[in-house]
Amino acid sequence: MTRAPYPLLLLLALAACAPATRVTLLPQEGKPTAAVEVQSKSARVVLGQPYQVAEVRERGEVAEKQTNASDVQKRHGQLLSVQPAAEQRFTLFFMPGGSALTPESTAALADVLSRAIERPGGEIVVIGHTDRVGTVESNDALSLQRAQAVRQLVIGRGFDAARVDAVGRGEREPTVPTADEVDEPKNRRAEIVVR
Amino acid sequence: MSVFCLRSTAAVMLWCLGLACAPAVLAQQAAPPTAAAAAAREAGTDGRQGTFKAVQGDVTVVRGNVRTAALVAGGVQATDRIVTGPKSAASLTLRDGTVLSVGPDSVMDLSTFDFNATTQEGNVLVGLLRGSLRMATGLIAKVKPEQVKVTTPTTVIGVRGTDFIVEENP
Repeated sequence: MTRAPYPLLLLLALAACAPATRVTLLPQEGKPTAAVEVQSKSARVVLGQPYQVAEVRERGEVAEKQTNASDVQKRHGQLLSVQPAAEQRFTLFFMPGGSALTPESTAALADVLSRAIERPGGEIVVIGHTDRVGTVESNDALSLQRAQAVRQLVIGRGFDAARVDAVGRGEREPTVPTADEVDEPKNRRAEIVVR
Repeated sequence: MSVFCLRSTAAVMLWCLGLACAPAVLAQQAAPPTAAAAAAREAGTDGRQGTFKAVQGDVTVVRGNVRTAALVAGGVQATDRIVTGPKSAASLTLRDGTVLSVGPDSVMDLSTFDFNATTQEGNVLVGLLRGSLRMATGLIAKVKPEQVKVTTPTTVIGVRGTDFIVEENP
């Protein structure tokens, strides 16, 4: 009688009872209502508490469990280790009536660039915004023009064009909410995400 | 039996790796490029939908029949498959700010990704065939969480603005 089959049998036994899919909800910073919905072919579970776990078997049964930070760290150390640093946000302002940045914002752009360069695989997203003077469509176009102007500045300073995105959000996200057709300098801006 | 079930299934994972996992190849239709994507390409981007932030060990991007080693700052497109070897992992950011991390011995498909940056609407569909995945959702989930899904062979995971881990033991 050789002993070789036993480890294999043990593995088979483990495989037979191991859940096929396991979902773990992580803590949500500043989003207390965040949840995931886990749906198998025969059951549905909503995870809403940090470190709640749903284990789904091959046949579709779902079991709810609870884990904790240190167990997740042990089980998923390498997965957690590659998580990139949180994104950073900056706001730049334009001179009235065009796509030129104010002198202060031109200086701030240098800081944005250096932060993006020091991140591995760093990206810059330039999001243009307008005030509510003009139509939604014309403001979409204007905000995109402004974002593209900043994008060209960044590329002109040598940053990889493939990692700079220009986005026009038009008048959808005012800093200062106003009635339509109100001239508001604080809303004529570009938000920069460095990630 | 249930005592075993509480243990980490790493041994099973290694055992499974000995099997040739032949995932079904889905017929992939190229989505028509959006105006935004076309505009972005004209301006010198490469049509990427995501960017690698970290690559540890052996990480491969499978695009159609082409396999390339993943590189930090390299691009990811919709329908790419990401395969990690033992003791390997990678993370990437999608255009809407979604962060995906892929753990060791994993196979993950970015099955669908489209994003209109102006309206912040879009779709994310990620498939995990093996291994582990962490997803921290971005703008699409903020605006329309029902448009973000992670699937495994047994499960569909829907989100409500969330950071979570999925593991799959085929």
